[in-house]
Amino acid sequence: MTADVHAERAATSRRPGLAALRGRNNEGVLAGVILLLLLVMLVVEPSALTWGFAGDIIRSGLVTLALALGLLLIIISGGMDVSFTAIAVFSGYATVRLMTDLGIDGRVWPFLLAAAIGCALGSLNAVLVARYRMETLIASLGTQVIIRGFLLAFVGSTYLATLPPQLDSVGTTTIFRLGSSPVNIVVVPVALACVALALILRRTMFGRGVYAVGGDKESARRVGFHVARVQTGIYLLAGLFAGFAGMVHVVLSRHASPFDLVGMELNVIAAVVIGGALDRGGRGSVHGTVLGVLLVSLVQNSLVRLGISSYWHVLVIGLVILVGVAIQARSNARGAKRPRILEEVTP
Amino acid sequence: MSERPFALRASGVTKSYGGVRALAGVDVHVRAGEVLCLAGANGSGKSTLIKIISGVENPDHGTIELGGTSAQRLTVKEAVDRGVQVIFQDMSLFPNLTVAENIAMSARVSSNARWISERKERALARSVVERLGLRLDLDAEVQDLPVADRQLVAICRALALDVKVLFMDEPTTALTWHEVETLFRVVAQLKEQGVAIVFVSHKTDEVLDISDRITVLRNGEVVADGPTAEFDHASLVEALLGYSATEDRVLSQALAAAAPALEVEGLAATDLFADVSFSLVQGEVVGLTGLLGSGRSEVAEAIFGKVPTTGGRVRVAGREVSIEGIDDALRAGVAYVPSDRLTQGVFLDQSIATNLVSATIGTVTRRGGVLDESAMAAQVDDAVRDLAIKIGEPTDPARSLSGGNQQKVVLGKWLATDPGVLILNGPTVGVDAGSKAAIMEILRRKASAGMAILLISDDVPELVSICHRVLFIRRGRMSGELAGDEITESNVRERLVT
Amino acid sequence: MNARRRAWLTATTAATALALTACGTADSGTTAPGANDDGGGSDSGDRTIVNVVKLAGGDWFNRMEVGNQEYAQEHSIRVDQTAGDDASEEKQIAVLNDLIAQRPAALTVVPNSPESLEAVLKRARDTGIVVITHEAPGITNADANLEAFVNEDYGAHQMDLLAECLGNEGSYAHVVGSLSVASHNMWAAGALERAGEEYPDITRVADPISSEESQETAYNRTRELLATYPDIRGFLGSASTDVAGIGRALEEAGRQDDTCVVGTSTPAIAGNLLESGAVDVITAWDPALAGQAMLAAAELLLAGEELTDGTDLGIPGYESLGQDPDVPNSFFGNAWIDMTNENKDDYPF
Repeated sequence: MTADVHAERAATSRRPGLAALRGRNNEGVLAGVILLLLLVMLVVEPSALTWGFAGDIIRSGLVTLALALGLLLIIISGGMDVSFTAIAVFSGYATVRLMTDLGIDGRVWPFLLAAAIGCALGSLNAVLVARYRMETLIASLGTQVIIRGFLLAFVGSTYLATLPPQLDSVGTTTIFRLGSSPVNIVVVPVALACVALALILRRTMFGRGVYAVGGDKESARRVGFHVARVQTGIYLLAGLFAGFAGMVHVVLSRHASPFDLVGMELNVIAAVVIGGALDRGGRGSVHGTVLGVLLVSLVQNSLVRLGISSYWHVLVIGLVILVGVAIQARSNARGAKRPRILEEVTP
Repeated sequence: MSERPFALRASGVTKSYGGVRALAGVDVHVRAGEVLCLAGANGSGKSTLIKIISGVENPDHGTIELGGTSAQRLTVKEAVDRGVQVIFQDMSLFPNLTVAENIAMSARVSSNARWISERKERALARSVVERLGLRLDLDAEVQDLPVADRQLVAICRALALDVKVLFMDEPTTALTWHEVETLFRVVAQLKEQGVAIVFVSHKTDEVLDISDRITVLRNGEVVADGPTAEFDHASLVEALLGYSATEDRVLSQALAAAAPALEVEGLAATDLFADVSFSLVQGEVVGLTGLLGSGRSEVAEAIFGKVPTTGGRVRVAGREVSIEGIDDALRAGVAYVPSDRLTQGVFLDQSIATNLVSATIGTVTRRGGVLDESAMAAQVDDAVRDLAIKIGEPTDPARSLSGGNQQKVVLGKWLATDPGVLILNGPTVGVDAGSKAAIMEILRRKASAGMAILLISDDVPELVSICHRVLFIRRGRMSGELAGDEITESNVRERLVT
Repeated sequence: MNARRRAWLTATTAATALALTACGTADSGTTAPGANDDGGGSDSGDRTIVNVVKLAGGDWFNRMEVGNQEYAQEHSIRVDQTAGDDASEEKQIAVLNDLIAQRPAALTVVPNSPESLEAVLKRARDTGIVVITHEAPGITNADANLEAFVNEDYGAHQMDLLAECLGNEGSYAHVVGSLSVASHNMWAAGALERAGEEYPDITRVADPISSEESQETAYNRTRELLATYPDIRGFLGSASTDVAGIGRALEEAGRQDDTCVVGTSTPAIAGNLLESGAVDVITAWDPALAGQAMLAAAELLLAGEELTDGTDLGIPGYESLGQDPDVPNSFFGNAWIDMTNENKDDYPF
C-alpha cells in the first residue's frame, strides 16, 4: 500500500523540464501536433510547403483569431458564448452601413467604432450573466438571436459589395509578401490585440480574477473578488474584441454582409478549446489559442493542396478537431477526488 | 496567557434561518496566541458562527469584537482587513493556479492591487512558506498536489496577509495521521507568532491534543466552555453528543440454521480503506460504525459498486460477485439505502408511486417497455401498507411527505427489490422519533424473515437498540467488534472515540 | 429556447393576423378576378396568396417581393411575403402552421429544407390551400413544384459560357455552396457532362469544392487552388457569394485577366467584380419572375385548370413549361438569365 501511494505521488508530481516544455495548457503538445502535421505534409506533398502557404494560413486564420480572443476570456472564466459572431457581424455591418449612409470615411476610427458597438452589445450578455446570474450559454443563445434579428430588421439586410474607399484601402494595404501571398496590414492590430489580451490575463488583477472565477467561483468570492464585477468586465471586453473582429472581417473580405460569420461559432470554439481552454473553465492562454487557430486553419487550408477529395474534407477536419479536443480533455481529466481517509501504515 | 488581549470576542450572536434558530446567543472568545477548539456535531451551528465572524453572513443580534473594535455586522472585506482568515473545509483554493499564485491571491486582492508581478508573487509566497519551514513546489498547480499539501497552501495563503484570527474548519478530515502531525507543528508555530487559532473539529483526541481552551456547541448554544485541562474524553463526548433518549434493546430472533448472506474479505480502495473483512448471516443485523470520515460510508458504497475497489472479495449468499455498478448489486440481491436521501435516494418532484417503483421498474413493465399500471398500483399499495407510510395520494409528489415518511419511501423502494442483503446508511438522520421507532421495527421484521441487514450509523442508541453485533472502523481499517451483551451505549461510545 | 420560440411565435401570429385582417377590410369592396369560387379554397370572396420564403430581407427575396406586388396589382389579388427570422426549417414550419389557420387561397413556398416541410404542407393541402413550391425538386406534398429550369441544363449552360470565355480549352474548378445542396451538385454534374460531350480540352481539376456558403471560404479555397494548380484558368461558382470570393482572390493574385469566372450570383453581390473583370458572366434566374410564375400557377389551379407539359404561365421564361415525366408535379421553365458588365443594370437585385 505504501509503495502504491508513493508511486502515485511520484506520478502526479511533474518533472520540471518536461512540464515547461509541455506548457500549462498543453501548448507544447499542440505545437508538437502542428509540427507533426507539417512533417506529414512534407512527406506527402513537399511542393505544398511554400511561403505562400504560410501567408494563406495567416490570412485565413486572422478573422478566426480575432473572434477567438473574446471567446477565450469567456471560456477561461468558465462560461460559454455563441453570440460573438452575431456581435461581430452586427458591429462590422452597422459601422459600414453608417459610413455609407452618412458618406463618411476613415481608416482607423471604424475599427474603434465597431469595437465600441461590440462593447455595447456585450453589455447585454454582461447584464444577463452578472446581474441575473443566467447560465452563460443560454444567455448568449438568446442575445445571438436578438442581435441578429435587430440587425436584419433595423440596420439592414442588403449585401454591401463596396466599402467606402479609405476603409477599402485598408483591405488592400500589404505590409510585405510571403511568397505569392500578400500579408495585410490588419495583421498588426490583430497582433496588438493578442498582446493586449495576454497582458491583461497575465499581468492584471482583473486577469487573475478571470482565472479565479473560472477555477472556483465560490472561492473567488471568498478571497474577496467581486464576481459580478469581474464577469461584467469579461463580457464587455469580449464584446469589444468581437466588434473589432467584425471590422477585421469586413476589411479583409472587402464587403459587408449581414449574413456573414454567423455559423462560424463552432469553428472558433473548437480552435479555442484545442488551444487549451477547457469548457470547465480556469484554463487557457493567448498563445495556446493562437496555436489552436493555427492548427484549425492549417488543416482547413491544406486539404485541397494535398489533393484530398472535397468529399473527405469535412470528415478530416472533424477528426482533427476531435483529436485536438480529446488531447486536451484527456490530460485535464484529473477530476475531483474523494478526500483521503486511509491511514498509511508507517513503519 | 490570560493577560494577552482578546483577538476575537463575539457575544450574544443569534441567527435564524426562516424560523429555524441556528445560533441562540452564542458567546465565543479567543486570545492572541491561543488555540480554541470549537467543537460540535453536525448541525450544531459551528459553520454558521464561522460565516458570521468572517462576514459571509450577517447575525440577527450580537456583537463581534475584533482587535478592540466592535461591530454588529461585517463584510468579507472588513473581516479580512481586521485580520480574520478562514480555511474552509474545502480549502477554497484555485485548482487551476499554481501554489505561488494561490498563496499570493488573498493578499493581492485585499491590497486592491491592479497589476500583478509574478516575481513579487513568488517572493511573497516563498517568504510565507519559509517562515513556516515548509517544502512546497511553488510552481506546481494546486490540482496536482496531495490533499495535505493543499491544506498547507491554504494556511500559507491565510498567512500571506496579516492574520490575527485564523479559523480552521475540520482541517484534519482528509489527512493521514502523519500529515496531521505536520499540521499541528504549523499550528504550534502560528501560536508562537501570536496568532489566535480557532480549530473546528469533532475528533476528541485531536481536540484534547492541540487546544488550550474548548468551546462546545450543541443545537446553536454553548453547552461547555473552559480550559482543555478541565476536559477528558468522556466529558467531551458527553458534551458533544448529549444524552439522547435511550431506546430499548430489542433484538430480532436469530435464525436457527442461518446461511452466510454477505461475506467481505480483504476489501480495499485506494486512499479510502484497506483490509476490510466481515460477514453477516441471514437474519442478522450488524452495525458498522465509526466517526465521520472513518470510511464507514465508503465501505458500503464500495460493496454497492459506487466506489471502485482495488482488492478483496465480496460473496453474497455464498457466491462470489463482482459488483461494478448498481445493476450488478441489484442482480446479486444487495440493496443500499444511501445516507443523503435528498440527493441520492428520493426524487422529490416525482410522485410517491414513481419513487416506490423506481428500483423495480422492470417488474411493473410489460413487454415492449409499457408500464403496467395495475401491477404498479398493487406494488405501491403493498409498500404503503407494509411500511405504514402516511400519504395523501400515491400521485402526490414525494416532497409533500415528512422526512420520516420520505425515508420510508426510499426504504420501500429498495425493499421492493426483495434483497437478501440490505445496507442502510444513517437511515434515521433527520427523522422524528416516532418514524425512527417504526423504521427500526420494519428492520427487525425483515431480519426475522431472513434478510441480512448492515446498518451504518453513528447514532449510538440506534445501534444498541437493534444490532446483534457492532463493527468499528477507524481511518479506513476495521478496529474492533462488540457482540451480544457487550453492546451497551457506554461501550459503543467508548470504542467510537478511542 | 422554448420561451424564445413561444415569444417569436406570438409575434408572428399577431403580425400575420393583423395583415390578414387589414386585407379583409381594405379590399372588401373589390372583386378579384378568378375568385368565382369554382375551384378556390377561399370563401371570403377575396383572394390572398402568401409567399413563404427562406429568410425575410436580403436582395433576393426583396426582388421576389417586387415581382409579387407587380403581379398582385395586375391581377387584383393580395400577396403577402413572410419568413422566419433565420433560415431554419423549424421557423418555416412554425410560420406555415400559423398561416394554415388563416386559410389563404394559396401558398407559394421556397423551402429551406423540402423534406422537413412535407408534413406541414400536407396539412395545408388537406385544408384546401393550393401549394406551389420553388427550389424543392422531388417534394410530394405540393400541387406543383416550379423550377426556373432543369438543373442539369443550367449547369450545361454555365459550361457553355465558361468554354466560350476559355476558348474551349483549359482546366477549371467548381465551387459549390455545400456538397449537400442538391441543385448545386446537379449544376456541377451538368457542367461536367457538357464539358465531356462538347469540350474535350476542358478538364476539371478536382471534385466540386465546398465554400460552406461563405464568401471567405470561397476566397480561401481559391487561393489554395491557385497554389496547387498554377495553370488553372476557369472557375464556376454556385452559391451567390462564391464568385465574389473567387473574384477577390483572383484580383489579389493579379490573375483576373487570364482566368474566367462564371457562376450563379446577383448584380448586387458581384456587380463591381463584373466591372473589374475579375468575374466574367453571372447567371441566375430572376426571383421576381419566379415569384410571379408561382402566383400564376396558383391562380391557374384555383381557376380549376391544370398544369401540363407546355402550359403557358404568361411570365417570361415560363411560357412553355416542361413536365418531369417521372415526377408529375414537377415543372420547369427555361428562365435563366445571363448578366455581364454590359447588361447588369437591367437586373436590380
